[in-house]
Amino acid sequence: MISVVALFLMVFFLIRESLPAWKESGVANVFTSEWNPDRGRYGILIFLVGTLSVSVGALFIGTPLAIATAVYLHAYAGPSWKRVIGRGIEVLAGIPSIILGWLGFTTLVPLFRRVAGGTGMGILPSSVVLAVMIIPTVASIARDSLDAVPDTYAEASLSMGATRWQTLRRVVIPAAWPGIAMAVILGLGRALGETMAVAMVIGPATAFPRDLLTPTHTLTTKIMMEMGESTGVHRSSLFAMALILLFLSMLLIWLVRWLSNRATRDMSKGSYFC
Amino acid sequence: MCKRQSVISREKTTSDDGLPVGEDRWRAVLEEKSARAVARARRADRVAGFTFKVAAAACLVVLAFIVGMILARGLGTAVKPSFLLGKPRVMGEGGGIGPMVFSSLYLTLVTTLILTPLGVGAGLYLAEYSRGKRLVGLLRWASESLSSISSVVFGIFGMVFFVIYLRLGYSILAGALTLALMNLPTVMRVTEEAVRAVPASYREASLSLGASRWETTKRVVFPAALPGIITGVILTMGRVMGESAALVYTVGVIVRKPPFSPLQPGAPMAAHIWYLYTEGGIVPDWMRIASGEAAALLVLVLLMNLFARVIASKIRKKMGIIG
Repeated sequence: MISVVALFLMVFFLIRESLPAWKESGVANVFTSEWNPDRGRYGILIFLVGTLSVSVGALFIGTPLAIATAVYLHAYAGPSWKRVIGRGIEVLAGIPSIILGWLGFTTLVPLFRRVAGGTGMGILPSSVVLAVMIIPTVASIARDSLDAVPDTYAEASLSMGATRWQTLRRVVIPAAWPGIAMAVILGLGRALGETMAVAMVIGPATAFPRDLLTPTHTLTTKIMMEMGESTGVHRSSLFAMALILLFLSMLLIWLVRWLSNRATRDMSKGSYFC
Repeated sequence: MCKRQSVISREKTTSDDGLPVGEDRWRAVLEEKSARAVARARRADRVAGFTFKVAAAACLVVLAFIVGMILARGLGTAVKPSFLLGKPRVMGEGGGIGPMVFSSLYLTLVTTLILTPLGVGAGLYLAEYSRGKRLVGLLRWASESLSSISSVVFGIFGMVFFVIYLRLGYSILAGALTLALMNLPTVMRVTEEAVRAVPASYREASLSLGASRWETTKRVVFPAALPGIITGVILTMGRVMGESAALVYTVGVIVRKPPFSPLQPGAPMAAHIWYLYTEGGIVPDWMRIASGEAAALLVLVLLMNLFARVIASKIRKKMGIIG
């Protein structure tokens, strides 16, 4: 029950605190690109763009690696490698985000600075750090859904003379597809909400990113960095951003639920390959 | 496949491409085509297998790089007792992180004390007692939504609700309550899974002996699910220890003395690293301190992970095949 109450409390307090922002600057103005507390402008478009580009970047880097690892664990690895890599992924999942951020700040940023010049901060290092963070999530869920495909499917395909790769590509992966999609969405959710790891390598700067290595901001980092020193509408604009973030992540969860419902329905109808 | 081809090619009448003419030609063409397709499929199979292996290895390499780098840069600083136990300096070099280490451990303890009864209770209820489908759906929906919410959102919610509205101030308790809410879904899920993994025959045996539902849950199901629950709780403790975004605005980022009362502000290590990063330069050796603190934190978290496994296997051994 507490989780229900907590959820409603959270939404209630976030709405209450963010009310001045919606009222004063108007709902339409919230989604503009000018953020200038001195002039009373609180458009959050920059941060929304920052969050989305960083997360998508992380998906681009992290997902292929994570799914390939999941497939390896499912179909190729022997028992001992399965254990070693499985453990490794669990440990990776447990590493605090602040440590990944710190490592990004002390290794990735200098590297990019030396290679590309500039500050070395921005979307690219953030995406790399985030990719590392979402790999465990995506890999373990994708692996679970691959393992959940009945062995008889693969056996039927193999007995017809298909190679392992053909079996995976044509039979096992399509059958596990809703689960893999869920894994990617949950990874995206993790990337959207991540704060500390990104905050240390994103810049920060309140400007649209010109390329992959210019400082910018995300929703989470902006909230983190300015909550302590803001008052009035400025503060409640930050709460409005938190509210948007909350709805974004809940939207993803609903998407996941819808997908998993559909998957079980398809499964029971047996129409998987149609 | 190859053998048969060689038999065919020994025939007298062959055309320019080495295949027979006449009636057998269609069969030979097909056979060669399928042989090529098989070879291609085998090559693709090898390439794919190799790619997957490389990807999995890359994950391990990344992990090794992270752990290795953090330890290499910070362990030298972190192992000195004057650093681990010493007080931070307001200015000047050579400060320690004693109060931060204390805050982290204390906060983890308080959080676990609040979180475990709630999470385990809710998990037990969901797994054993839940009948009303609508209520369960609502519960699940709420906890799934909670688990998806960003930690910084939890942080500022904790700030307005626990710190300001309930007047707890920046304190260990406010942080612990925030973290308890945040990790509630995890503990619930772990408990539920562990309870569901208990074979139905256990329950049936107990019920058939005349035990009530609650007695069965308490004496049979719960002990059988305990290893899974304990492992899950310890893993959650590791996560609590490394959390930072939810704590900066609920517990605090810097203290000079260890907070002995839960109502005092604290400075968990992870939040303190953030403080050093943002307010860096106040002390000249902030990079060194942050590196050392990161290493110490990583060691603590890894120890927690290891501990969870050791406990799990110990209990499992003690209880035989259960779990």
